[in-house]
Amino acid sequence: MYDVWKNALEFIEQQISPANYSTWFEDTSILSSENGDIVIGVKNSFHVKQLRSRYVDLITKALENHNIKVNSIDFEIKTSHKPKIRSREITISSELLKNRIKNIKKTKDHTHHQTGLNSKYTLENFVIGSNNDLAVSAAKSIIDAPGTRFNPFFLYGGPGLGKTHLVQAIGNALLNKNPDLKILYTPISDFYSDFIDSVKLGKGKDFNLKFRKLDCLIIDDFQFIVGKEKSQEEFFNIFNDLYQLNKQIIITSDRLPSQIKSVDERLASRLTWAGAFDLQLPKFEDKCAILRAKAEAISAEIEPEAIEYIAENVNTNIRDLEGEFSTILLMSEVRGLTPLELINNGSISVNKTSRLKKVTPKQIVEKVAKYYNLTIKEMCGKSRVTHIKTARQITMFLLSKELSLSTNKIAAEVGVKDHTTVMHGIKKIENDLKLNFTLRDQIEEIKEKIYG
Amino acid sequence: MKIKVAQEKLSHALNNVSRVAVGKATLPILNNVLIRVDKKKVSLITTNLDLAVVDYLPVSSSEDGVITVPAKLLAEFISNLPKGETIEISTKDTKLTVSTKKYSSTINGTIADDFPEIPELNEKNAVIYKLNIDDFKSSMAKVLVASSNDLSRPALTGVYFNTYDSKLAISATDGYRLAEKLLINKVESEVKAIVPSSSIQEVLRSINDDAEEIEIAFNEDLVRFRFGEIEIISKLIDASFPDYQKLIPKNNNINAVINREELIRITKLAALFSKSIGGSIVCETIKPDSFLVKSIANEFGENDSRLDTTVNISGKINLNSRFVLDALNALDEDEITFNFSDHIAPVLLQNKKDKTYTHIIMPLNS
Repeated sequence: MYDVWKNALEFIEQQISPANYSTWFEDTSILSSENGDIVIGVKNSFHVKQLRSRYVDLITKALENHNIKVNSIDFEIKTSHKPKIRSREITISSELLKNRIKNIKKTKDHTHHQTGLNSKYTLENFVIGSNNDLAVSAAKSIIDAPGTRFNPFFLYGGPGLGKTHLVQAIGNALLNKNPDLKILYTPISDFYSDFIDSVKLGKGKDFNLKFRKLDCLIIDDFQFIVGKEKSQEEFFNIFNDLYQLNKQIIITSDRLPSQIKSVDERLASRLTWAGAFDLQLPKFEDKCAILRAKAEAISAEIEPEAIEYIAENVNTNIRDLEGEFSTILLMSEVRGLTPLELINNGSISVNKTSRLKKVTPKQIVEKVAKYYNLTIKEMCGKSRVTHIKTARQITMFLLSKELSLSTNKIAAEVGVKDHTTVMHGIKKIENDLKLNFTLRDQIEEIKEKIYG
Repeated sequence: MKIKVAQEKLSHALNNVSRVAVGKATLPILNNVLIRVDKKKVSLITTNLDLAVVDYLPVSSSEDGVITVPAKLLAEFISNLPKGETIEISTKDTKLTVSTKKYSSTINGTIADDFPEIPELNEKNAVIYKLNIDDFKSSMAKVLVASSNDLSRPALTGVYFNTYDSKLAISATDGYRLAEKLLINKVESEVKAIVPSSSIQEVLRSINDDAEEIEIAFNEDLVRFRFGEIEIISKLIDASFPDYQKLIPKNNNINAVINREELIRITKLAALFSKSIGGSIVCETIKPDSFLVKSIANEFGENDSRLDTTVNISGKINLNSRFVLDALNALDEDEITFNFSDHIAPVLLQNKKDKTYTHIIMPLNS
């Protein structure tokens, strides 16, 4: 019905002036259409009156053009209490949905109030892959001997890659080993508001004490520390005290401390004393493993082909991956088809990629040149000046990674003699990326420019 | 179409209706006023699709017809003609000619077919109240001060008409303060409706001295105000108003009766020393006879003012000075009651005698 109305509106749009169309027909929808008695939902009584007195014939004609039998047409004001678009599918097995929602509600409340830890995050249900094995093995050694080798434990990576899961899992594992351990998990924003509240109430000392008594402090989303000097100083003091006492400190952030503006240098260097561990985007095999584990955990049936389809098409992060996965499972329950059947008959199209636009090699060359303030001629010339050379190599790197061009083609695009130069250039950038975070940032920015 | 009408009357009517004619860019005809003559009855109509204003114009002679012309242009033209003249208006196709003895001008209009239809209230199932127009005016002004213009919370951008205990009350709140005024003591029918503040303001602006009574009629989704020769029809806000009765404090234990003018004066003094307009001031009671208003601004200095009154319990409360002044200006007796609590609860301001108006203000954090 929804589509029919859309078609009818298109017809109406051609018949009347755009001003009248947008005033009277925008935000309308069909509320019901039983036995040809059409009820159309509109904004308010001004619209009811106008449509009823001026446009009934036109609407009838538009609907009849689309083979809808029209007995009568009535208008009703859509109130916010009624759903605007009525969906039909969900009613079939609304019981099922309700149960699902109930289950979700039930499983939701695991949060332990004193520690801020949520017991649903465990190391066992954290899927280990090449993207995170280093961080996980460090986490394991923390659980064996907290406050020793990896202290402070600094974990960073993009959104939805499992930072919170991993650090919560460490907390839970420590607590399991020794229930008397004092652990506190807190996002940095809560740390602030607590701090500010306690200062306001004149209980700054209590605040201090509360943290200094801890055996393990877990701070999440450290990047939000930005520009709050007083509380940063307080955090620094607490950090130092705990560190002196060999208490475990765990911190997550979406980037390195040195890249967070307005973080004090003393603090920044201390945070990465014991190294920084990053979580990277999972590779295809890792994504499949994650989905299989997830399917097993909720004992859902899903074909391996469907898993591969989802893994292939979601390229942003694990949160999106799991989101798509749940959507497909829910749809398959509601529609009564298996996930693979759904995918094959085209009811679902998963496409979560950070690479939405098609780009040409030319565009990449242009964007890189522009980013480094070079002309294309300069960049693709023979200059051996370091920054020009680097720009050229970044271009090669991006052409290879983003468009998977062959080295010969890349050589032609950037105007170098042969493919070995290209191979050397790509290798060089790949190596530099591991150590050079500015370069990493620059490349991310260029990518944004290319796809943005 | 042809009408003959006195300049003052026409000018007045056009001024009333043309305020609404600020057309949306999407539908330029909303800039126009619809003039309809039907059996000696002349109506001028404008609408912005949220509300419509209809003004019935008494004329001496007429010929039927209908046209729309730009409202602002016509209103300004007519208002600049000399007073006391009789104006003759006639139309030919889509042109409207205005002429007096000395002046004559032709304005290009459009045919009335494109002008939106104005919804009508179904009289049968409408709930109708009648009020003295002065009461209506003062009551509305009293609650409008507390209404919000935050469009993200539509329920707070209107005045709530609601009946309880067979009384009709109006109220408005912006989330920080709330004003309630009892409108009619005994009513039979029930109503719960939020009228947009902008529509109420339009009604208040249109009220002139001729009318003595205003009729308010509610339908499910419309309200109509009728007074004198004017009808204003507005949509209602489709949202639910907070259950405000619960917010009115019942157990405030600190009570002071204060001279209103005095309190306004010292609140203004204190506001000077609080950071900005709406800055915070401290109201304090000290047993047995002092009411203090204090403010401190680090940059300017500080201020302490004292009033003599009887006080039952000592206590203090931080308030927004702008809100206090608004409340005091909405009250009208010489003496008012200032009622608060030593626990965190809103302050309750009322006239000493007439308790039909209630104004509450949430305290600020100290």
